[in-house]
Amino acid sequence: MWFYEKKLEYPVRIKKVDPRMAKYITSQYGGPDGELAASLRYLTQKFHMPTKELQAILNDIGTEELAHLEMVGTMVHQLTKGASVEQVERGSLGAHYTDHDLAVYPSNAAGVPFTAAYIQSKGDIVADLVEDMAAEQKARATYEYLINLADDPDVIDPLRWLREREVVHFQRFGEALRIAQELKDKKKFY
Amino acid sequence: MNEREKLLEQVMAYDFCMIDLGLFLNTHPADTNALKDYRTCYEQSEKVRKLYEEKYGPLSLRHMPNQHCWQWIDSPWPWVKEV
Ligand SMILES: [Fe+2]
Repeated sequence: MWFYEKKLEYPVRIKKVDPRMAKYITSQYGGPDGELAASLRYLTQKFHMPTKELQAILNDIGTEELAHLEMVGTMVHQLTKGASVEQVERGSLGAHYTDHDLAVYPSNAAGVPFTAAYIQSKGDIVADLVEDMAAEQKARATYEYLINLADDPDVIDPLRWLREREVVHFQRFGEALRIAQELKDKKKFY
Repeated sequence: MNEREKLLEQVMAYDFCMIDLGLFLNTHPADTNALKDYRTCYEQSEKVRKLYEEKYGPLSLRHMPNQHCWQWIDSPWPWVKEV
């Protein structure tokens, strides 16, 4: 279970309205390589992890991803809060405004709603951990694209920090994969 | 940044160190250097958290409320944009 902590994992303090950037960053909220997919993937896969280390890794990274989801949602919210309809239209957010006003909504950058089909929970620990490593790389790449699209330092700073976390998670999953592989070798499945 | 936010950022920094070291320790449980760093972060975090909560109210529900009013809703939520 979880207790809420009344703080973000890392500060987000965006002053300037920028609906265009909000539209892009939304993909890390509810897109294919976003934080919702990441947290859901790991917190679902944890149930079939066979050892205490592997259970800990999936549980704790999944938990951190929820904190990232909150940071990304905060970014999207602060980028649109106070925007005029004209700014919204100029930032190509008119379609989003039609269905959601300026509410944060889990979709990709093109507005396609989140789907659980973005994630897998295969039951095979090697297959799942390799997917998790790929997921971290895809999230890292997305943050890099977003940094290329951004110009406000208040936006770039948390994006850089989030990118760095994907690199760290990739490393931890790499160690988890080694543990899983050793375990599989010992058991001799074939 | 006001005084409250400055103090909050100190709590955030130490708590983040614990998150990061915790992930590392999950795959390196016998690393005494990392354990030492974790212990330091925990002590520092507890110290600034106590300071913060005395001044600005609870950071989590694991907090003894005062007898008269529910302070949990007093301080701003962390996603709220300042104007
Ligand atoms: Fe991650």
